[in-house]
Amino acid sequence: MRLGSEASKALRTVGGGGAVVYLTTSSRGGNPNTVGERFVALYKDEYILIAEMFAQKTRVNLNENPHGVITLAHPVKGRTWVFSGPATILQEGHAPDAKWEGIDVAETLAEWGDWATKEPPSEVPPDIRPPALVQRGVMALHVTSVTDFHPDRAGEPLLIR
Amino acid sequence: MARLTPRMKNWLTGLGGHIGTASKDGVPAVVVVDSAIADSDEELRFPLSEKQRAVVSPNLAENPRVAIGPGGIGSVRAAYQFKGNGRIVGEDLVVSVDEIYSTKPGPEAGLRLDVLPYEEVLAFESSRWRDDGPPR
Repeated sequence: MRLGSEASKALRTVGGGGAVVYLTTSSRGGNPNTVGERFVALYKDEYILIAEMFAQKTRVNLNENPHGVITLAHPVKGRTWVFSGPATILQEGHAPDAKWEGIDVAETLAEWGDWATKEPPSEVPPDIRPPALVQRGVMALHVTSVTDFHPDRAGEPLLIR
Repeated sequence: MARLTPRMKNWLTGLGGHIGTASKDGVPAVVVVDSAIADSDEELRFPLSEKQRAVVSPNLAENPRVAIGPGGIGSVRAAYQFKGNGRIVGEDLVVSVDEIYSTKPGPEAGLRLDVLPYEEVLAFESSRWRDDGPPR
């Protein structure tokens, strides 16, 4: 499902420290996990990438149950968006020609595997900035569904340009 | 049961949270609620709209586990994750919290707070944040 510039702007750095989303995953047995993530980008119009900085339970969950839900947390500004779809962690050590959901793993990591260099977290206030931006891969969600989380429209499908 | 601190309750009651649920075989569904009521130090009540109840009720009917991250600017300033069992009571989602984690980036990410002595949790908070809740 292709997203556009509005989604890209909302998910990328927007000033004041950048966008924050929640990534919700679940164990295979149904134990959910919801964590805030700051280093986020829209990739190739239909994937959301997040820097993987030792999100331990998320990794365990995705390894056994590759589904994710991303909700826009801050700033929302009326963008009450829920992105859902298959999710995984891309990491060095993959096969040379590895693909996931239509994207090339090596190409993706070449572009986003070193977030600190590509987009230094200079806007993040010092008291909430990670002490070191140590990244071991990229979490990827292939957006197959977008819905609304506004209380009056929760669960309704959305089309985002 | 886990004991919520005043700071945790202030952030959750002030700005609500992103509430993750899952079916019994692990398909997640999330609602976002902009306020909560703390009925005690262990239990939270989130008013839900009819549409929000429709999103999470199927999961909660077969699996009560929920995970909650503070809403709005709390996603940045209130680096916690709360887990517990949820149930729909009337129009509300009532959550009995039984696990609390720090999600502060760095070495304390994933630190389980509710297993620490309560006074240590208060000391942890006061040494890391200056606020006691969202800006008023």
